[in-house]
Amino acid sequence: MSSRSLDPVSRSAAWRISLWATLAFAAGTLFVFLVLHRFVANDIRRRSDAWLSGEVEVLGDVAARTPKDRLYSRVVSEVAELASREVPDRQVPKKSENDSVFFLQADADGPPKLWVGAGDGAATLAAIRAAKVFKDVPRDVKVEDGRVPFRVAAVRIEDGSYIYLGLSEQDQLRVLRTLRARFIEIWLMIVLLGFVVVFYATWKMLRHVREITGTASRIGQTDLSSRVPDSGRMDEVGQLARTLNHMLDRIQNTVRQLHTITDSLAHDLRSPLTAIRGKLETVLTTDLSVDQAESIVSAIDELDRLTEFLNTSLDVAEAKADALRLSRTSIDLDELVRDMLDLYEPSMNEKGLIVQIHSAGVCRISADPALIHRVVGNLLENEVKHLPASCTVRIRLCVLDESVHLILEDDGPGFDDVVKRDRFQQRIRGRESRGHGLGLAFVQAVVRVHGGSVVAENRPEGGARLCVTLPHDGPSTLVAEGLSLT
Amino acid sequence: MRLLLVEDEREIQSFIQENLIAAGYLVDTAEDAEAASRLSRRYSYQGMIVDLGLPDQDGIDLILQLRRSGIRVPVLILSARRSVDDRVKGLELGGDDYLTKPFAVAELLARMRNLLRRNMSSGEDVTRLRVGDLDLDILARRASRAGEVLNLSPQEFSLLECLCRNAGRTVTRSMLLTEVWGTRFQPDTNVVDVHIYRLRGKIDAPGREPMIKTLRGIGYVLAKP
Repeated sequence: MSSRSLDPVSRSAAWRISLWATLAFAAGTLFVFLVLHRFVANDIRRRSDAWLSGEVEVLGDVAARTPKDRLYSRVVSEVAELASREVPDRQVPKKSENDSVFFLQADADGPPKLWVGAGDGAATLAAIRAAKVFKDVPRDVKVEDGRVPFRVAAVRIEDGSYIYLGLSEQDQLRVLRTLRARFIEIWLMIVLLGFVVVFYATWKMLRHVREITGTASRIGQTDLSSRVPDSGRMDEVGQLARTLNHMLDRIQNTVRQLHTITDSLAHDLRSPLTAIRGKLETVLTTDLSVDQAESIVSAIDELDRLTEFLNTSLDVAEAKADALRLSRTSIDLDELVRDMLDLYEPSMNEKGLIVQIHSAGVCRISADPALIHRVVGNLLENEVKHLPASCTVRIRLCVLDESVHLILEDDGPGFDDVVKRDRFQQRIRGRESRGHGLGLAFVQAVVRVHGGSVVAENRPEGGARLCVTLPHDGPSTLVAEGLSLT
Repeated sequence: MRLLLVEDEREIQSFIQENLIAAGYLVDTAEDAEAASRLSRRYSYQGMIVDLGLPDQDGIDLILQLRRSGIRVPVLILSARRSVDDRVKGLELGGDDYLTKPFAVAELLARMRNLLRRNMSSGEDVTRLRVGDLDLDILARRASRAGEVLNLSPQEFSLLECLCRNAGRTVTRSMLLTEVWGTRFQPDTNVVDVHIYRLRGKIDAPGREPMIKTLRGIGYVLAKP
């Protein structure tokens, strides 16, 4: 019992639910971000492409108009230098050297005519030719030694040479990198927060289910009159509670009807039995011959047997239908067995039986004392009735695995084949039996109603063994066998 | 002593009444709760026998109602029900007793006498019981006969104590089972007889007058020899 309720948090379904919910949430937000990222990247590229196209046009124009004299390269360089200051998304350059823009003029083949920018103009030109940038549609160019690709636009001027304007993509990439880093920080935070929120909400919701489970198991063990707590809400948990309570109403109603039937049956039979018995007894007080008195006494005996049979039959029937009324208290089975043994021991000794009891001490069970008295009484009575003289009865009582075991072993003839096969059926008895044959059926039915079990078997070394197991109540104090008494 | 018998079944009522009268009681009868409460207001009874299944009211409710109006007589409850109501168990603790139907008339008479005696001697704390030359020290749990200490087991002492408290009156087997062993279980076998047989062997040693008599089919009585 304690191991089941050890750690409700670690076994809760709330983990699974919140894990899946968080996964779905994380995947969804990630998808949204990817779409957004793509949109931003495209927009940045569009802006830089527009700038490139515009500037390369201007530069082409300037190059075409500027006379090709000594000043040509200076004029074009300055124009290019000016242009580089208007680069979109530009960060303040760390170095004074301009490494974000280059300007290149070259023929269809041959070395560069004019190079303005950081790095190696020839290598850049080779890369541009490899990437086949001819028109004014900007393209990506990756210079071999350069870390960052350039976006390059081209224009052809009148003298047949090309003017190339390159814009480093490092600023765009930096913007996108910052965007991603920020997103991941925030994303992790909201995913974690989402997990906590979902877990808390699920845990709270499942608490109602746990309450229902707890109550339902208590109902299963004890009485049918309690009901699971109903939150009054219209959600699934509320409906579950109401459905369970409705079911319990019906079960309780059925059990009540069964009780009414057995009660009225008992009542209707007992009243005439009482009257008959009383009348017979009254007759007995008058002057009678010995023969007459004998037959009346035997009639009274038969009546008592009939009454006992009626009572036990109804008890067995109710117990089999799980409808036996129990008024449970915590009782010490050890004390109860010893008390009953005190009652039976003289009879057993008288018959030449030897009784031994081995018990570990207090064995608490939650049970109906009157019924358990009858169970133990039936078991002992069984031994007295069926064992031949000079047999030994060993009674052992121990607590094992949250259960109390009461074991009766003898070295007698064991169970008859007929009894063995149907020993828990009603009205089966051994050849020597005088009783109504309900003893073991009663024992089993009562023990089962208390949540226990009975095993009856013949021991391989001869004799019978009856093992009654009942749920232990309270902390286990002593385990296994202890001292031997009597 | 005047008793009130509340029972709606005529047949049962008549034989209980006959037997109570034969045992020396004055008996009034009532067939329902209303008549019972009317009679109990008019007369003062020493004891009552109440059946639980009355036509107009539950027997328990009748008893509780009488208690509330200040009538504190001991009640012997008769029940044809299968399970003993928890409220009956509560009353039993309060000095009442119950019998399930069918019962032996002797059982009813013995229990009634026991109830009346308990009611009259309530408050009085007996530490010593003496019946003839039999002497019981309740506190020391020691018994002697004619000055000779008897070697009794705790169970045998309780058995003898129960018989001595009811000295001269019938004690049934089921009364002994309840008082000594605390059980209402009815054994098929003669377990109680064996105990009495052993006890008798100890107190009625050869040469002494026997004190414990067996009443066949009813129980035992301990009396001065």
